[in-house]
Amino acid sequence: MLLVQLLINGIQVGVLYALIAVGFSLIFGSTRIFHFAHGATFTLAAYAFYYVYAIAQWHWTLAVVAAAAAAVLFGVALNRFVYVPIQKHEGSFFTVFVASFGVGIVVQNLCGMIFGRSFVSVDTPLSRSVEVMSGVFVSPISGIAIVIAVLFFIGLQRFLMGTHTGMALRALSENPELVRVYGMSPRRLSMTVFALGSFLVVPAALLSAASSGLYPAIGHHVILISLAATIVGGVGSLRGAACAGLLLGLAENLALLYFEPQWSEAISFIVLFLFILFRPSGFFGRATAT
Amino acid sequence: MSALHASIAAHDAPPPDHDVLLSIRHLRKSFGGLKVTDDVSLDLRAGIVTTLVGPNGAGKTTLFNQITGHLQPDAGEILWQGRSLLGKKHFQIARLGLARSFQDLRLFDQMTVLENVLTVMEPVSWLWQPGGRNGRSERLDRVHTILERTGLADKADTRAVDLAYAERKFLSMARILAADARIWLLDEPASGLDRSSYERFLELLRSEVQKGLTVCIIEHNLDIVIGISDRIAFLDQGRLLADGLPAQVLNDPHLAAIYFGDQAP
Amino acid sequence: MLAYLLNLATLICINAVLAITLNFIMGYAGIFSIAHAIFFGVGAYTAAYFALHASASVFLAIPVAMLIAALISLVLALPALRVRGEYFVAASLGLQVLGVTVFSEWKSITGGLGGVIGIPPADVFGYDVVDPVAFLALAATCLVIVLIATTALLRSSFGRNLKAIRDSESAAHAFGKNVAVIKTLSVMLSSALAAVAGALYAFYMGFINVESFTLETSVLLMAMVIIGGTGTVAGPIVGTLLLMLLPGLFSYMSFLPQTEIGSIQQIAYGLAMVLLMIYRPGGIVGSGTRAAGKGKTA
Repeated sequence: MLLVQLLINGIQVGVLYALIAVGFSLIFGSTRIFHFAHGATFTLAAYAFYYVYAIAQWHWTLAVVAAAAAAVLFGVALNRFVYVPIQKHEGSFFTVFVASFGVGIVVQNLCGMIFGRSFVSVDTPLSRSVEVMSGVFVSPISGIAIVIAVLFFIGLQRFLMGTHTGMALRALSENPELVRVYGMSPRRLSMTVFALGSFLVVPAALLSAASSGLYPAIGHHVILISLAATIVGGVGSLRGAACAGLLLGLAENLALLYFEPQWSEAISFIVLFLFILFRPSGFFGRATAT
Repeated sequence: MSALHASIAAHDAPPPDHDVLLSIRHLRKSFGGLKVTDDVSLDLRAGIVTTLVGPNGAGKTTLFNQITGHLQPDAGEILWQGRSLLGKKHFQIARLGLARSFQDLRLFDQMTVLENVLTVMEPVSWLWQPGGRNGRSERLDRVHTILERTGLADKADTRAVDLAYAERKFLSMARILAADARIWLLDEPASGLDRSSYERFLELLRSEVQKGLTVCIIEHNLDIVIGISDRIAFLDQGRLLADGLPAQVLNDPHLAAIYFGDQAP
Repeated sequence: MLAYLLNLATLICINAVLAITLNFIMGYAGIFSIAHAIFFGVGAYTAAYFALHASASVFLAIPVAMLIAALISLVLALPALRVRGEYFVAASLGLQVLGVTVFSEWKSITGGLGGVIGIPPADVFGYDVVDPVAFLALAATCLVIVLIATTALLRSSFGRNLKAIRDSESAAHAFGKNVAVIKTLSVMLSSALAAVAGALYAFYMGFINVESFTLETSVLLMAMVIIGGTGTVAGPIVGTLLLMLLPGLFSYMSFLPQTEIGSIQQIAYGLAMVLLMIYRPGGIVGSGTRAAGKGKTA
């Protein structure tokens, strides 16, 4: 029964990890920007939800909107005011990474100062777990989150395959010059990428706020998962990032069968490490140059 | 057209019997559905300058990348004096005696001219170089000789990023000279050079080739092609359409049409 | 007051060693590691264990600490350096996370969350270094040695190889440089020298625990190197001085809430990093443009 519970938990978490990872992979694959601040996006969205719902005590729909707005605005603003100026004059991997890193630090500490450094969470009626089978508990909100996540994936798929912008985005990750062929400006396109990629963290952020809880440094875990999933899944492959996210979620939870909880974060690293060692191109990635 | 013929005729003399240093046999490479190298066979011989020509996207740089080990071909063979190069890493192939220049130069920008050349001359990747103090002074002497030959002697302590365009091109050549290689793969080494720099480059090239160096050059500018080549290999859409003496290749109207895009191949 | 200054000076020496060694790989080889605190920790725990169970002589404890750190860095470097730079960042982040967990759990060696206490004082030629002034002298000596060592390396052919890789990795490859070996060596050297700082720290404090070796520390070290200026000799030292003196400066500003000084500090250097990258990537010491080249595998 424990196994079943862990599997369910693993899937719950894995689906959300998959979304986060796809968001990161989308941004990284298209713009080649090492968006370390993806964790900060998550943190902001989660705390926005927490603030609007638990502190300001407004309706949850408003809180959700606030979270989504925070994520998207942050991602787009970061691109516009930090990444673009950097890329204009020098734009090496180093400078972009460091700037992104710096932003992450600022966000983490601001949240820590405003909301405190300990765990906070939002108590909603849906947060409480329900026993569905003997010994197996699922909370309604997790179920909802999974459904939303799956809907997001379907929507994303249709967007990328079906729309003009979506196809341009896919082209962008293959070959940036192709974008001009589509008659789009790379600037508008990267704004879209950041908006979309940042939006994808929202379901996971909401769920974290409503169940497992938030703390300012949670962004580290988010970025570790994003990185690990992107690499394990193969750079440039959204499908890969999603599958890898799911795998990491499952691994983290199933590891609890054998290891103590404090090792679960380390599990992601071990999986990542094994892949770098034996299969650097990941599940679906293109062959990486040495 | 007659002036063209005249200058071609001057290079028409067939080369004496030269050893094959690098042999490419039936090489194939595809990216997805696109064939970038399509059954290419080519021999590079000592003392001969072979020029790769062809329209943009013909696969010339890709061919270089497969020779240098940057890219692995899907099928075929690349033989260095009879031994296969396939599967060897980029730097291992370089160590065998193959030096390559890049279209975008890729100089060590933050290092000085002297350091750029010295770095290439120091073969070992470990913490110290063999030869001790004698080895070091010998290397420095060789570096200075190379800087003299490439006209960079007075810029020895200038950072590469601060050099003028022609000087950067010559620094690229200086690095290649320092590599003490037996084959040079040069990607548009003379593009953008003014008349006198070009003459100097040509002289440098010719003197090395006379010592038995094998050279393969990618070049677009026809004047340069005519001035440099002992043989010409014409590539289009990954296929080798012609490989022979300049007179033969350049006189072919069919190839000229492809090159200048008058008609579909 | 004197005790405060001596303490500050000693910690500056220790942190400067860390900054210099991190700059060695970041500013010269173009390798970005967020795990430097782990090698600091490995050095500290190894020296502590060795001092408690074998000998407190610096001439034994420090080399052993260096060796262990170098070996562990091999584990990280060998696979991660064969592939692109981003992978190393990811792997180093993972190592940092994993390292903290190991430090917290491996009770027999690290004392778990409680840490290691009762570390004997450093033994230099039979003399116990207890006096703060004497320890400062020891720390300063180590700093000078590390400085000389790294400068010598950077002036040598090895240093040229590193800079070549930084400026154009593909050209370095094309001219026969075994880039993977060179990068691995530089990571090993950097980690081994960071362990020196760790050993010093263990002897100085007499007590160490995992709190000193967290991601926060790695971040602080990165900030020191970046703000000071990568790829320069003076950069890491300037960065260390600045960031170590900052807390003192902030505590003078009584309008700032004292409990939040730590966060304010971090915000300050987070902002500094962002602004520097936009306007002056070379850091304080560097020129307007960054000393290092493209950084990508170009």
